[in-house]
Amino acid sequence: MSDEITPELFKHLAELAALELDETESEYLRGQLNNQLKAIHELEAIPLDAETPIASHGVPYTPATSPALRPDTWSPYPNPAALLKGAPETDGGYIIVPEIPTQDLG
Amino acid sequence: MTSDMADRASRVPGVERDGIRVQCTAEDMRKAYLSFRAGGVGFCPALHIAGAYPIMVTGLSKDGLMDYEVVIGLETHIQLNTATKIFCSCKADSSSDGPNTNICPVCTGMPGVLPVLNKSVVEKGALLAAAMHADLPPVSFFDRKNYFYPDLPKGYQISQYDRSLARGGYMDVSMPDGSTRRVSIHKLHLEEDAGKTKTENGRRLIDFNRCGVPLVEMVTGPDIRSADEAAQYLTNLRQLLRWIGVSDADMEKAQLRCDANVSLRPHGADYLNPKTEIKNVNSIEAVRAAITKEVERQTREYDSGRRIESWTLEWDEDTQTLKKMRSKETEADYRYFREPDLLPVYLDDAWKAAILTALPELPLARRNRFVGDYGLPAYDADLLTSERSLSDYFETAVKAYGGDPKRVSNWLMNDVMRMLNESGKTAAELNLRPEYLAQIIKLVDAGAVNTNTAKSLLEKVNRTSQPPAQIVAEEGLAKVSDDSAIRAAAEQVVAESPGEAASYRTGKVGLMGWFVGQVMKKMQGKADAPKARAILEELLK
Amino acid sequence: MNIVELPALEIARKVRARELTATEVTEAHLAHIARVDGQPGAIGGDPSAEPDKVHAFITLTAERARARAAAIDAQIAAREDPGPLAGVPVTIKDIFCVEGTPSTAASRILSNFVAPYTATAVARWEQAGAVVLGKVNLDEFTYGSSNESSAFQPATRNPWNTSHVPGGSSGGSAAAVAAYEGPLSLGTDTAGSIRLPAAYCGVVGLKPTYGRVSRYGLIAFGSSLDCPGPLARNVSDAALALQAMAGADPRDATAATVPVPDYLSEMEKGVRGLKIGLSPDYFRVTFFDAHTGALVEQDLPGEVKQSVLDAAEHLARMGAEIVEGVPMPHTRYGIPAYFVISRVEAASNLHRYDGVKYGYRTAKMPENLRDMYRKSRAEGFGLQPKLRVLMGMYVSAAQYSEQYYNRALRVRSLIRKDFDEAFARVDALLTPTATSTAFKVGGVYGDSVLMQYADQLIVTGNHAGVPGISIPAGFGADGMPLGMHLFAGDFREDILFRAGRDYEQSTESEPWRARRPQAAAW
Repeated sequence: MSDEITPELFKHLAELAALELDETESEYLRGQLNNQLKAIHELEAIPLDAETPIASHGVPYTPATSPALRPDTWSPYPNPAALLKGAPETDGGYIIVPEIPTQDLG
Repeated sequence: MTSDMADRASRVPGVERDGIRVQCTAEDMRKAYLSFRAGGVGFCPALHIAGAYPIMVTGLSKDGLMDYEVVIGLETHIQLNTATKIFCSCKADSSSDGPNTNICPVCTGMPGVLPVLNKSVVEKGALLAAAMHADLPPVSFFDRKNYFYPDLPKGYQISQYDRSLARGGYMDVSMPDGSTRRVSIHKLHLEEDAGKTKTENGRRLIDFNRCGVPLVEMVTGPDIRSADEAAQYLTNLRQLLRWIGVSDADMEKAQLRCDANVSLRPHGADYLNPKTEIKNVNSIEAVRAAITKEVERQTREYDSGRRIESWTLEWDEDTQTLKKMRSKETEADYRYFREPDLLPVYLDDAWKAAILTALPELPLARRNRFVGDYGLPAYDADLLTSERSLSDYFETAVKAYGGDPKRVSNWLMNDVMRMLNESGKTAAELNLRPEYLAQIIKLVDAGAVNTNTAKSLLEKVNRTSQPPAQIVAEEGLAKVSDDSAIRAAAEQVVAESPGEAASYRTGKVGLMGWFVGQVMKKMQGKADAPKARAILEELLK
Repeated sequence: MNIVELPALEIARKVRARELTATEVTEAHLAHIARVDGQPGAIGGDPSAEPDKVHAFITLTAERARARAAAIDAQIAAREDPGPLAGVPVTIKDIFCVEGTPSTAASRILSNFVAPYTATAVARWEQAGAVVLGKVNLDEFTYGSSNESSAFQPATRNPWNTSHVPGGSSGGSAAAVAAYEGPLSLGTDTAGSIRLPAAYCGVVGLKPTYGRVSRYGLIAFGSSLDCPGPLARNVSDAALALQAMAGADPRDATAATVPVPDYLSEMEKGVRGLKIGLSPDYFRVTFFDAHTGALVEQDLPGEVKQSVLDAAEHLARMGAEIVEGVPMPHTRYGIPAYFVISRVEAASNLHRYDGVKYGYRTAKMPENLRDMYRKSRAEGFGLQPKLRVLMGMYVSAAQYSEQYYNRALRVRSLIRKDFDEAFARVDALLTPTATSTAFKVGGVYGDSVLMQYADQLIVTGNHAGVPGISIPAGFGADGMPLGMHLFAGDFREDILFRAGRDYEQSTESEPWRARRPQAAAW
């Protein structure tokens, strides 16, 4: 059986995932993905009708068990500066990142 | 088409296949038209080669050039004017805050945080949806839209995808020629805003303050037919947003943002050509200018036989030109899936009804009612319904007055609106309450004060908040109709002005106005002017 | 009296009764940790260092703990009640944010992240008087069943035999509790990550109902599956621990507004009168052999099966009615469905680790922003997060979502239906926790499919959202602990405690209950 995730598809997935992977790592990961997919295909054996509902959670939430929405009341965070402490690069209160890639307009 | 035909068609330049719907270039169309004029059947040669069918020639002008129909859809992002952000308790408005100071763990996407939906966002969104005549389904969902961008700290935007707050809807837009165009709403959903980035010295600076500001994304159908119509839609939308109180809708502050999708097609065609998307237009005038430019460009392209590609364009306000933007980092697939951190939003009947009690009569309906019920000219009705508190003011004044509504309208448009413009207040904030305006007009009607006095009375009432009658009484502003008092003043004026009197008597009758003015001056403006004139004419005979 | 052997309930009672101070309790535990734990896991650490030590910790916060203990003693001195966990030393799986402490998720990408806020579950324990000793190891981002995937090495080892894994992903938690490094630990369970290591380490592990405990501050894996829950050495302590953290939270929109019963007093009702079900579908394993490409169906090892049947007998003796033959036909699809659902959610949840605003950013000079993302993520994530992100990307692509994601969600609904139908007949379902005892270090790691199948008997509870508890149930021939497991209906943790506590009492005098783990010997 041929691999569902080919090296080309794998490259595409890695690009979407923003992961720069070397050859060895790629081959291992691709192999594992294909193995997992074989397990996943077991799901196809289950007869499913369109009636079978899709839910975001296993436990059903009813209005009685669902928390109320948040009231629109301002409550300032006491120490916003602390949230920037872990940023790799900051300047004047801004977080700094490298320039965003631009496309040559040609 | 058979696959063989499809294959041949795909090799023919300028021909595209879309089921049985076929489009071709302007050049192909011109050839078809020429063939038609020469007595042929008028089909497109390229399509003929492709083995397709003849197509009707429509939308061609006499010289064989295409007469295009402009197709515009507008995608707007509306900042809701809630106190706090959509998923956390930071305040929504950061306009006076330094970078990254109006933030918390939730809106900066710290590991482990969770969104908690602001109730007011649902309510304001539902109110807007109702004002757009959209359906409000009893349950809606939030979804994650996944993409990498540095102003998006979670790496996904919480938005609504296939089961959003509202379905359908439309807005009737009143056009300058008096007609109304119904613009359909394709999409109306809630989502969170991203932060801001800017480039400085080759570095990208990021400010998360705006992350999590509640937005309604609202997308129209391709129903708009000109740059002017687009501008009118936005004008009406802005009016509506302020009218129902869900957004301050200031485009310069990005509280109302607009992207325009623009394409052209031959008149009568029912298909859509590839469109371009114009971004970064932050005023209604800019939208008008950018669309005009883009329509011109696309017309040129089609006329020279080229195709339009689905570019994203950016409007440069300074140079008034369009620029092509970089292609998006992540193309179409955002891998939407239900946001597991939020439960479905249940908009039950009771809540919906409670929200909708806040839905006022909408501007267009009120405008039409002002014309119908009060007999106002369309111009007056448009102006008086440009803003909700002004129209409320008008109506309260009309009711208090009880007379001809047009008279109230005149006073409002001439005097009250000037006061509003000068003070920057809304009509509701004026000390000159609509009841007082009505009283002042009544005083004029009854001949109790003259027009000049009435105008200064408006200012005095607005300054002091005192009822007009009280000011009139206290300051003795009532019009003097007593002949003897006017006669005394007039005799005095004539006696003091022998030169003018002589001139008048020798035929310079134009001086009468000056004499009346002098009498008024002596009587602090309270004289009944026609009476003063009659007495003066007698004295100067 | 050896303080570290005391259960949490007993410590809190003694501290409140002034028989012990919180400081004495804390110091006793810190001293014991110094003896048994060895060096903490660290980035670049040697996986085989000190192979006879437990290595539960990533960050021991001894000074913070001493300050907390002193504050509790001050409360006691001032005649204030510090709460039901007064002076109880606890450890926290390093997937929870605790303000001012490194909160690493056992990943290089968060190795330098100091949390600016505290998770609700931790805050509630602290408000109840608990003393947090530190953060314990786990599989990277909780992605594993052995702890071996932690970027902080040496990874945790099984205190009963340190050449075996502790299970995962809450391996540090289970090992710390088993090795007497603290009577309670806060773990998380997405596919069995509390219950599997609990079984492997011979402790009690509870996965509460989804929505019973707030997830705020839990670094997310599969947001629709993740549950914080306690690990403890006995059922009463687990009940006490849940009591202190359960309930709605204004910071978690999925924390249900279901009243929290008094678990300890409910527990006293015992198992009498409850119907306990046994399902044949939980006595066989079905797994996919990646090497042969075959689907293998096997009966469970005899000792695993026997321990559960013995447990059923104990429960029957205590007054439960045993109902056999409860059908749970979709059990075998738990893992394949989990492979899809958890990956879609994980890929999205890991999007935020991009080197922009916190955590690891590549030291290599990136050419541009995208390059910075690609390098930071490639260097910051280990193999397991990468695998999950890539699979998530694949199965959530718009053109495949019906085939994979939506299908998996429908299968989840079928698994839920199994439970709904079962709980219409019985109050609880008795199953094994794991298909075997703890495997050896290096025995499975590298085969991501086989590793995942370790969870196959308990992941169904995560799909359905129902609560489950693993309770020590003897030992295998290899001398490693076995666990038995109970499921109950939504928000019926009380039933798990009633049955679990009676099982403990019924087995009180059995010799295996007196065994002590090798690595914790003193």
